[in-house]
Amino acid sequence: MTDLLLHNARLLDPAQARDETGFVRITDGTITGVDAGAPPSELLTAAAQTYDCGGACLAPGLIDMRVQSADPGAEHLEDLATLLRAAASGGITSIVTLPDANPVIDDASMIDSLTLRANRIGGARLFLYGAATRRLKGKAMAELGLMADAGAVGFSNGTRTIMDSLVMRRVLAYCGMLDRPFIQHCEDHHLTAGGEMNEGETSTRLGLIGAPAEAEAIIIDRDLHLVRLSGARYHAAHISTRAAAQSIRRAKDEGLPVTADTAPPYFMLNELSASTYDTAFKLAPPLRSEDDRQAIIEALADGTIDAIASDHIPVDGDAKAQPFGPAQPGASGLDTLLAMTLSLVHRDHLSLLRAMELLSLAPGSILDLAGGTLGEGAVADLVLFDPQASWVVRAADFASSSRVTPFEGLPVQGRVTASWVGGVPVFQRD
Amino acid sequence: MTDTRAPGHAASGAMPATTAPPAQLSSRHFLGIEGLNPLEINGLLDRGNVFADIIQNNGLFEPPLSDMLRGLTVLNLFFENSTRTRVSFELAAKNLGASVLNINVAGSSVKKGETLLDTATTLNAMHPHILVVRHNCSGAVQLLSQHVDAAVINGGDGRHEHPTQALLDALTIKRRVGRIEGLKIAICGDIANSRVARSNIHLLSTLGAEIRLVCPATLLPVAVDSMGVEIFTDLEEGIEGVDIVMMLRLQTERMEGTETPSQREYFNLFGLDRNKLMRAAPQALIMHPGPMNRGVEIDSATADDVEKSLIRTQVEIGVAARMACLEALAGGGGAP
Repeated sequence: MTDLLLHNARLLDPAQARDETGFVRITDGTITGVDAGAPPSELLTAAAQTYDCGGACLAPGLIDMRVQSADPGAEHLEDLATLLRAAASGGITSIVTLPDANPVIDDASMIDSLTLRANRIGGARLFLYGAATRRLKGKAMAELGLMADAGAVGFSNGTRTIMDSLVMRRVLAYCGMLDRPFIQHCEDHHLTAGGEMNEGETSTRLGLIGAPAEAEAIIIDRDLHLVRLSGARYHAAHISTRAAAQSIRRAKDEGLPVTADTAPPYFMLNELSASTYDTAFKLAPPLRSEDDRQAIIEALADGTIDAIASDHIPVDGDAKAQPFGPAQPGASGLDTLLAMTLSLVHRDHLSLLRAMELLSLAPGSILDLAGGTLGEGAVADLVLFDPQASWVVRAADFASSSRVTPFEGLPVQGRVTASWVGGVPVFQRD
Repeated sequence: MTDTRAPGHAASGAMPATTAPPAQLSSRHFLGIEGLNPLEINGLLDRGNVFADIIQNNGLFEPPLSDMLRGLTVLNLFFENSTRTRVSFELAAKNLGASVLNINVAGSSVKKGETLLDTATTLNAMHPHILVVRHNCSGAVQLLSQHVDAAVINGGDGRHEHPTQALLDALTIKRRVGRIEGLKIAICGDIANSRVARSNIHLLSTLGAEIRLVCPATLLPVAVDSMGVEIFTDLEEGIEGVDIVMMLRLQTERMEGTETPSQREYFNLFGLDRNKLMRAAPQALIMHPGPMNRGVEIDSATADDVEKSLIRTQVEIGVAARMACLEALAGGGGAP
C-alpha cells in the first residue's frame, strides 16, 4: 500500500550520494521505496495519492538547528504556530529552538509543554535545546538530566557564552554523561563588552565600537581544552571568523567530537554592509571582514563547517528603529535559508548534494534527529524545490511574521514548491 | 541493643564464641587504609569481630577486655563537627577502660587563630596516649602525627581517608555475608569529595572485592580508574548484579547548580529507590556511612528496609571496629 507517490523528481539524497530522476513512495509517514526512473504504472494506479514533481528537486526536509522562538514571552512578534508554518514554507521540516525565551527554557516541564503544543499545531517539527544554566545566567547548572528525559536534543546557553570555565567544564561533563551535544555561542563577552560591530577599519571610520573577531576563537580554543577533559560532543554555533574555522579544523584533525555551523549572513555579507548604519545588518556575531567571509565559504566547502542554520531571530521593528549601537542584533532567517545556501551552489562553491548535506543530513546527525536522507525506512520529511526559480527577497512577503532581513532586495535563485512532514503536506506554493 | 544479624552470619551468636588476639600494626599511627597489608586488615577485622559479638549480645565488657586501655588517655580532637564518629570512638575507648577527653576544636583555640601545629604542641604537652583526629583538610592528620608523641588515629581527613569507616564497613559486610572476596560492591554518589570512598576502595579491593564507582561525571575524580575500579555514570547500570550498594552523602552545597543541578534531579538520576535497586542482585544489601539525606541519595523505604539495609548495623559495628584500632595502637607503642 502506498499513501503517497512522489514521481518525476530529481532525487537529492546526501546520505547516499544520490542525484538522479526518480520517485519516492511513502506509507504511514515513512519512505517505503525509492527508485530511479519513472514508477511502474501499477504503482501509479495503486497509490492512494500521486504527486508529479515536474522535474524539481526532491530532498530531505531541511533541519534548522538554530532558531529563536518568541513564544513563550513575545508572541506578538511571532507565535509558535506562525513560526512552524513559516519554517514549513521555507522547506524546513524540523526546527530546533534556543532556550532564550521568557521564561527561559530551563525546566523539563516547559520542554514537555512546548513539544505538546507543537504537536497540536502541526507544520514543521519542533525540537528544543534545554538551557545549560538556570535563567541562562552562566552560573548554576540547570536540570540537564530531567530536560534530557523530557526530550531536549542538546543543551545551549543561547546567545550568551558560559564565561566561567568551571561551570563550562561541569556542563560539558553532564552533556557527556547524558550523551547530548553542547551548542555554544562563541563570544568572549568581556572582550566584546560594548561592541557595536566587527572591529576593523570600518568600525573606526563609522565611529562604532568594535568587537574583535578574536573573541570567537578564544572561546572555541578554551572549550576545546574542556572537551578533551570531558569527552562531550561540542558544537560551535554560527561561526563567522577564519580563526574559528581554523580551530575547528584542527580539532577535527585531532579527532575531537566537535562540529560547527554557520548562518547565511556570514558567507553572504561582510562588515561593509554596516556602512549605512542600516540596523538590519546588526547581527550577533557581527558581520566580519571579507577575509573572514571567504574563510567561512572555504570551511563550508572542505567540511570544516558541518551545517548551515538560519539563525532566525524574531526582532521587533521598534528594536531595529534605533541608532546602530543600541539596536537589537538579529534578523529573520527561515524564508531565506534555502535560497542563500543555493547561492553557494550557483557560484560553484558547493555541489547541490553538499548543500543538502549542510542543511539536512549533518544537523540531523549532530542532534540525533531522524531525517536527512531519502533512504528506505527514513521518516518522510521532504522538501520539493526548483533550484533555478528566481525571486527577489522582500521581507514584506515573508511567511515569518518577523520581517527584518539583511538580504532585502537581493535577487536569488531557488524556491520551495512544497514540503511534507511525516508524509503529510505542510506547505504548497500556489 | 537488638541483634539485627541475619541467620547464618559468620559468628554463632553465643558469647564468647569467637576469639582473636589483639591486632598488630606495623605503624605507630593509624592514618589510612592505603599501605596496610591484608594481614593487618584481617587482624583488625578478626579482633573487631570479637568485640562486635559482645556488642550485639549485651554490650557488657568485662576484664580482661575492659582493662585493655586502663590508665591510658584517649583524646578526641575534632576540627570538624561530628557526632556519630566522636561518640563511637568515645564508647570504644571507654569499653576498653581508657579515660576519654573530647575537644571540640571547632569552637576553641583554632577559632582564636591558633595554628594546627601549635594546637598539636599544646596537646602534646598534656601527654595523651592516643589522639583521634578529624580535620577538614586532606593530609592534616598526617601532619599533626609528625609533631606529637601520642599514637594518632585518623578520624577522617578532608577528602583523603576515613580508615575506621572502611574497617567498620568491611566488618559489617563480613559478618552479614561471611566474606569480602569476590563480592561486587558499588560505591555510589559524591566520589570526588569522599574520604569514605577512598578508604573503602583501598580496603575492599585489597581483600578481593570487585569495586564499581557510580557518580555524576562532575563528581568523578580524574584518573580514579587507576585505583582498579570500574566507573559508571548511570546508577542502574552501575548496580546491575551487585551484592552491596554503598551510598554516599551528597552535601547540600553540591546540589545548587554546582556539581549537580538540583536535589530533585540528583534523586531522579542517582538516588537509590526500590525501582533502581531491582537491578542489583536479589540479595543485595544497602549501606550508608551517614548521616543520610533522605530523598536525595536514598529514599526512606530503601534506607529503612529491614531485610536489605545495613545502615543501623554499621553504626553498631563501628564501635567494635574502633575498639580494635585503639587496642592495636595501645599495644603498638602508643603508650609511653
